[in-house]
This record gives sequence, C-alpha cells and structure tokens, in this order.
Amino acid sequence: MDDRRKPRTTGVVLNPMKRTGKQLVRTLILGKPNTVLYPEEKLDLPQVYRGKHALDFKKCIGCGNCVVVCPNDCMWLEKVEDPELGKIERPGVDLGRCMFCGFCAEVCPTVALHMTTEFELADSDRENLRLSPLDIRDDSFGETFVEEREKRLVPVLDLSKCDGCEKCAGECPEMCIAMMPIENTGRKKPEINLVKCKSHGKCAETCPEKALTMTEVYESYFDMPEPKLILDNCSGCGLCARKCPSEAIYMLEMPGTEKTLKNGKKGKPKKRAVFVLEKCVGCGRCYQACKFDAIDMPGVRK
Amino acid sequence: MNLYQFCYGIVHWLVGLVNNIWYWLGDFLPWYFGDLFTAIGNFAASEGHLWFMTLLVESVVVVVIALINVLNFLWIFRKLSGRILDFYGPYYVGYRIGGWLQNLADGMKLFIKEIIVPTKADRLGFLLAPVIFVGSSLTILAVIPFSVDFGISTSESGEYVSAGALFALAAFSIAPFAILLAGWSSNNKYTLIGGMRSAAQMMSYEIPLILCAASVFLLAGSFNFVEIVDAQSGIWFFIPLFIGFVVFLICLMAEVEIIPFDLPEAEAELVEGWTTEYGGMRFGLFYMTTAVRSYAGGALATALFLGGWHGPSFLPDEIWFLIKAYIVFTVFMWLTWSVPRIRIDQMLVFGWRRLLPLAVLNLLIAAALKSGGWF
Amino acid sequence: MAEMWINMGPQHPMTHGLWNLRVKVDGETIVDAEPEVGYLHRGIEKLCEARTYPQIIPIADRLCYGSSLTWSHLYCLTVEDLMDIEVPERAEYIRVMAIEMQRIASHLMWLAAYAGDLGLAVGFTYTMRDREVFVDLLQALTGSRLTYNYPRIGGVAHDLPPDFERDTVRAVQYMEMRLKEYEDLFDGSKIFMMRNVGIGILRKEDGINLGVTGPSLRASGVDYDLRKDMPYSVYPEMDFEVVKHEDGDCYARYRVRMDEMWESCRIIRQALQKMPTGRWRVVAPRNAPVGTGLGRVEDPRGEAVMYAVGDGTDRPYRLKIRSPIFVTVSAAPKILVGYKLADVVAIMGGLDMCIGENDR
Repeated sequence: MDDRRKPRTTGVVLNPMKRTGKQLVRTLILGKPNTVLYPEEKLDLPQVYRGKHALDFKKCIGCGNCVVVCPNDCMWLEKVEDPELGKIERPGVDLGRCMFCGFCAEVCPTVALHMTTEFELADSDRENLRLSPLDIRDDSFGETFVEEREKRLVPVLDLSKCDGCEKCAGECPEMCIAMMPIENTGRKKPEINLVKCKSHGKCAETCPEKALTMTEVYESYFDMPEPKLILDNCSGCGLCARKCPSEAIYMLEMPGTEKTLKNGKKGKPKKRAVFVLEKCVGCGRCYQACKFDAIDMPGVRK
Repeated sequence: MNLYQFCYGIVHWLVGLVNNIWYWLGDFLPWYFGDLFTAIGNFAASEGHLWFMTLLVESVVVVVIALINVLNFLWIFRKLSGRILDFYGPYYVGYRIGGWLQNLADGMKLFIKEIIVPTKADRLGFLLAPVIFVGSSLTILAVIPFSVDFGISTSESGEYVSAGALFALAAFSIAPFAILLAGWSSNNKYTLIGGMRSAAQMMSYEIPLILCAASVFLLAGSFNFVEIVDAQSGIWFFIPLFIGFVVFLICLMAEVEIIPFDLPEAEAELVEGWTTEYGGMRFGLFYMTTAVRSYAGGALATALFLGGWHGPSFLPDEIWFLIKAYIVFTVFMWLTWSVPRIRIDQMLVFGWRRLLPLAVLNLLIAAALKSGGWF
Repeated sequence: MAEMWINMGPQHPMTHGLWNLRVKVDGETIVDAEPEVGYLHRGIEKLCEARTYPQIIPIADRLCYGSSLTWSHLYCLTVEDLMDIEVPERAEYIRVMAIEMQRIASHLMWLAAYAGDLGLAVGFTYTMRDREVFVDLLQALTGSRLTYNYPRIGGVAHDLPPDFERDTVRAVQYMEMRLKEYEDLFDGSKIFMMRNVGIGILRKEDGINLGVTGPSLRASGVDYDLRKDMPYSVYPEMDFEVVKHEDGDCYARYRVRMDEMWESCRIIRQALQKMPTGRWRVVAPRNAPVGTGLGRVEDPRGEAVMYAVGDGTDRPYRLKIRSPIFVTVSAAPKILVGYKLADVVAIMGGLDMCIGENDR
C-alpha cells in the first residue's frame, strides 16, 4: 500500500502532458512504437496456441472421438485411400464453423490430432474452409515439439494370444491384475486396474505367450462411455470387431453352442464379442455398428 | 522582389504572349473584327486588368502553398498522434517519405464515395454549409502573409490589407454559422445538439480570443499583420502578454474544435456531432478544413504573439514563420492527446468565468504597458 | 428547447456492445432514461442444455469477451459442485492466478473503453497495450487470446508452461510501474477529475436495493466482495484487501478498479509463491448425478452466479446464469437523471458494461 500514489488533483494538464511527452520521446527518438507491423513481422506464438489442425495419419486410428466431442459439429469422418495405409477413415474439419476450443486435440486417444500455430486461415470462399483430412495431414508435426500430454507404460492385452495362465496376476506387485472368467467361453482374461498400475512391467515379462506388452498410452481426462454386451442379443457376426478402431473387441467361441449338422458332424461354435476395456477409446462405433442391439452404450447417439 | 512583383511579372509576360498571338490573329480578320480584337487586347494589357489578374494569381499561389501546408499538418497530426499513442501512424502509402501520401489516398477514397443527402434534410442548407465552412476558412489564409515579401498584397510596394488581422478574425468567426446550419439542416438530433453546442462554444470563446488579439493591436498600434510583426522585432509579444498568449491559445483550441474542446463532434456522445450526416468528400472537406483552421490558428498565434517571421537569419523568413506555426500546432496536438474531453457546461463556465476576466486583465496590462511608454 | 428522446444505441459509440439507452433530455440535462437490452441474445442457457458438460466450457467463455476466463471458471465451479469433485490444489492456485490476470486484463479493457469514451485516446492505447502483456501471458498459459477455454471440470487444461513464473513476475512488476503512469495520466489531469468527481452518484441504499454488485457497489461504500465474504477456491489463503470507496461517484468507481488491479498484482505474486507441485487435473465423470450445483464468483463486473440442475445424463437439465451487468444496467436510470448528456458516457462507461453476459 505504501508505494501507491495518492490521487492528486494538481498539475492541471501538465502531468498527463509529461507522460505523453515521455512516450513521444520513447517512440520517436529512443525506440519505435509498440505496433507489430503484421504482414512483415509476426508475433511469437506459444506452442499451446490453437490454430489450424494437423493430423498424423499414421497415429490416427480413425475412432472419431474428435467428431463426437466437437461442440460445433464441425468435424466429420471421411473415407480416404492412402497408398501406404489402404482404405481408412480420417477426420476432416470445417474451419468456418470451428471455434478453436481444442477439445478434438485434447480428446484424441493417440495424440494424432494437434492444433498448430498457423492462424492465417482466411479465405474468400467458404467452401475452401472445409478442410478434408488430406488438407490437414501433417505426419511430422508431432516431432517438432515435446508432447505435453502425460503418457505412461501400461500392459496392453492381446486376448487372442492369452491362454489364461494367471502368471501375470501372481507377479503384479500392486495386486492390480485379477483373472476374470469370460461368460460362456470357459476362458479367463486378466482384468488390469489401470488406476492402481505403477508400470512395473513384471506382468509383461512373465507372460509366456507374450500376450501382455508394455505400451505407452496417453492419459485421457475425458470420461468416455464404455460398451456393455447384451449376450442374449449377440449373434456373433463380428461386425463390431471389424469396426473397432483400437482392436479392443475379440470374437471368442462359445463351446457347447455347436449345432449338429445334418451329416451328424458338429458345426462351428457360436462366437461372442469380448471387450478389452483397457484398450477401448470409447468412440461408440461398435454400438453404432451393431445391428442386433447387442451393445449398450449410454450417452452415445446412434 | 515581393510576391506581388513576381506575380505581376508572370501575368505581364503571359498577357504579352497571348496578346501577340491575339493581335496577329486580328490582322487576318476584317476590320470590324480586327478592331474588336485590338480593343480586347488593349483591355487585357491595361493596368487595372493586370492588377486584378495579379491578385488572382497571388491568391492561387498562397492558397496552394497553404493547402500543401494543410497536407503537412494532417500528416503531422496523424504521425505525431501515432507516436504519442504508441503506434506508427501512416506508414505504407508513401513509404519512403514517411507515409506522407496517405492523406492523398484518403482524399481519393473520399472522392469516389457516393454523396448522400438525407431525405428529410433541408437540402439547400445541407449543401450550403460545407461551402460556407470551407470558404470562410480558406479566406483566413488570404490575409496572413508568410513574410514581408510573401503574402497577398495589392500594390507594388507590398502593402497588405490594412486591417488584415481584423479580417482574419472576422473570417474565423463565420464558421459557427455554417456549423449551426449543417447541424440544423441535417434533421438529426445528434447534429442539432452538436450544432447548438458549437454555436455556444464558438460565441463564448470568440470574445476572449478577440480581447487577446485586441491587446496585441493596442501594443502594435495597427491591424496590419506586417506592422504587428514589425512591432515585435525587439521583443515578442508573448513575453509581456503571457496571460493573453495562453488565453489566446486555449481559445484557438476551442475555435478549431480539437480535444479537449471538440464537444460539437464528441464522438462518444453525439456519434460524429454535426458532421454525422455528411459522407464522402463533404466529410473530407470538413476534415480538411479542421486542419486549415488549425493552420490558420497557428499562423495567427505566430503573427500576433510569436514574432511572426523574425528569427535568426540562416533560414528565410517564410520558413521561420512556418516553423513557428508548426510548433504551435504540435503543442496543440500534444495537449490534445493528453487530456480527455471537457463537458459543455464546464466549458462555458471556464470560458466566461476564467478566460474572459483573464483576457480583460491582459488587455489592462497591455493598456498599462502602452500608456507607460514601453511600446 | 423542448424535451426530446435520444436513442443512444443500439449502434452508437457509447454502447460497448449492442444495447440501447434511451435518454430524455431537456436541452442537455437528462430527465429520464430507459435502458433496452436484448439485442445480443444468443440463447446460451438453452444452448447449454443440448451440450455435454465439457462442451459447455467454450460456450461459457463466450458469455463475456472481457473476462471469459472468469465465466468458464465459474461454470467449472458449478459443475464441480454438482458432481462433488475435489480439485487438486495446484489447479486451484493456477486458476486463481489466471483469473486474477484476467481481472487485470478486464479492468484494463474497461479503463481503455472508459478513456476512449471520455475522449482520451492516449488512455485507450496505453491500457490496451499493457493489457496485451497479460493477454500474452494467458495465451502462453491457455493457448488462445480471447476465449481461453482453459479451466476444466476437475482442474485446468495444462500445467504452467516453462518460464511462466519468471514472465509473470516481470509482467506484474511492469504492471505496477504502469499503474503509476495511469495515475498521472488520469488522476493527475484536472479535466479528468472535472469529468468524474461528483458525477453519477449511486447512493449506498440504492445500490443495495437495486442489487448492484462488484466494483460499482464497493465504490458506494459497501464492503462486499465474494472473495472475502464467501471464499471459494484458495482465496482464503491469499492476503489481500477488499477495496472500497465511500463517495459512490464515477471517480470512486474508477479508483476502486485501479486499486483492485494493485490487489490483483499482490494475489498473483502470492499464488506464484504458494503454488504447490502435483497434479493439475482429475478425471471428471461423464454423467452428473441428479441434483443441483451452485457457483458464485466475484467477476470483474460483480457477483456472477451459475446454477446447474443435473438429471443423471451427460447434459445439464437446466443452467441458469446470473449476470452482474444485467442487474447493474437496471440501476442506470436511477444514476443518470439530473446529469448532463455528456455524463452519460462517463456514468455508463464507469459501470463497465458487457453486453455478452448481459443478454446471454
């Protein structure tokens, strides 16, 4: 409080003139004005600045979480054909509607989508503002800076290799792996409590089938919905497993459901979908794909 | 050689040139046409006609120089305000001469805009107001000489309008009429209030202004600019009449309508004041005329108080005169950008209760000095 | 001159935004005034009912262009109250620091607009230039210059960027130096004082009865600041004073805001010193429980309240926004009558109008 100046009423116009005079000397003689002469000079923008989008095609899995989270509905998934990656789906963005909130980059489970510092996006045609995935493709953008999203090593399960030996559950020092039976299949799979996991990696070391591998996963602060299977409705068609962008759905056979064919032989057993929820990104594509209402995902629009 | 002689020489030479061709043409024609040609040629070569044409050329020269100065003033206004306000001001148009061409570019832009007259406006008044405003303001420039030799004089000996200062002040005070006319004829509440404010302001600040000028006339003993400036060859009048000088400057600011006295066009309250309904080049004329009046005000202050064209002899007199006028203008601008706008009632109170007594006091000082025999 | 109505607005340099103040003048004296608002109604409350909880944060930013961070912070407080989320302490300190920066930026923007209204162009450019310092800081922190979208339900979006503390201390020092310059430029100017002292007096009782809050009320001598009276976040741990002024005129309102900027500088310094390390965000649940949540903060313009009703889904059933300016503008006729036409800009400018939050 002491260094504060008390309001004064003296110095009729001389006090302000002194200030403006100092400013005049500062800008005219000692230096130059504060203005940034825009087209020639540009401001240094911090790395967190939210400008035009940049999409890493190789990291992107085409889950569409960005499309779901966008408050303005300005993103969409578009089918593109890439010589390297084949037929894929990648998001495009309509910059005319985008409000640059950055949720799409924040929700991206594989950190494939970034906001660059490019801000000169004006165009004379509204159609040019609709950027297709190829327009925002920038595979090397993620290498230009240190990613600030937190990531950690967690064991990721490949259920097709797992034989249910329970060795990982015994090795875990945090006791965060529990072997849970999968209904109707007679198999067990390890359920990993990722909240408790401290990334020791012992489970992956001991796994005889190499079904558990330590993988770097980005932390997500978005609570995404999880799919639930309604077993009675599941026909075992496998559409959800094909649609799943993160390969978290496995089709397992259910022994004892084989139909006896006419020639007396037993046919193939029925299959069911099994979700490995540690891998699930919560995009809801399985829910949207399922034709038999066998998957329930509250809060997702079909 | 003064300006009159210079212009007379030009006119004489031109008339001689034209007359040669004229008479030569007349030789080819029948006698009745030839006589007419000869009569016209003789009239053109007569002393009265040459005098008149010389005055016209003089006016053109002075007004053109004044308008170039106005461009300079606008440029200084924008550049200086930019520097004080911490930005560049005009920059790209005329990059090598510091953005000097920006005003010309703006003028061209204003020229190509459509001229709109509001439907319910009083058409005659609406169209007449800019003419009166611009005309009266340019008239001021006619009587202010740049130096002994450089001004509109009426004879070879370099005599100027004998009551030049009085004429300048009179022309200065025609403007409120134009502003009131513009404000009223626009048929808009903002312009009406702006016009009323302007009338009240100019009338109340006219009196101290003229009283201060009167003290100068008293000391100099003349209304003629040359004689007033000659009277200041020893001591400039702003030293004995310092109170008068300050009051004169304040009143000039009010007359020119710049902040803190730009109430008639207070953009925060009255949109654009009395110029609200004017667009295109009419607005451009108003804008330019504000600079013309600033220049005229600076020139008046220079001639009446700051010793006119007196100065060390390494620069010509005319340059000294301009430098002083520019400095007055610069101080105006500096003050303008440092203070907020004053309120109308405070302004009138300030004018009538502070400035008028001070001006009268100044007149008394001048009378005392004169009767004491110092001047 | 007969009495006449003058429309100051909706497109008028005095109105910072879209609203209309109709004043009835007798010559230059105001005899009646009538504010009309609603030109900028965007239906934000209804818009929020169709968005999920995280998606509302950028929309809450758009409530007020002057202090968008305060509004998204308020929204996050409301939803955290609704969902019963414990925010990490580091996040609270970052939030407090950021909203105090936002408060300085908002007050500077107010000062700029106020100076521009009074015809002091220097005041406009200098304050906007110095606001840029804090906008740059917030840009480095949040990634945007105006609509920050920085607080999240359960924390903040990022941690502090590198070198942020050093830059902040520099900015605060710069700001304190500049505030002295402003006091020369404004307080030291006789004309500024003539335009402000004794103009637009809002009496204490009127202020309380009309529901005026914030600096406008504190300038009338009421010691009411939610940061002290109903502390939220980590304000109880900060050492600062509630600025108040007894006069209730335009100058008092100006003075309160200037002194608040000094206090904000103090709070930013303390927040930097006391900031703990650790996490800055927790995962918020997707669905809110059935129930209600209430958030009250001291916006730069007054007391801002949000009230959210959750119905178990991921979208709010209802979100009610209480804007301080909506209440303050209703006090305008009470303050305006009896002053001159030129005082309208001083009085309405001194109330710090922000039409975005007013019309919602």
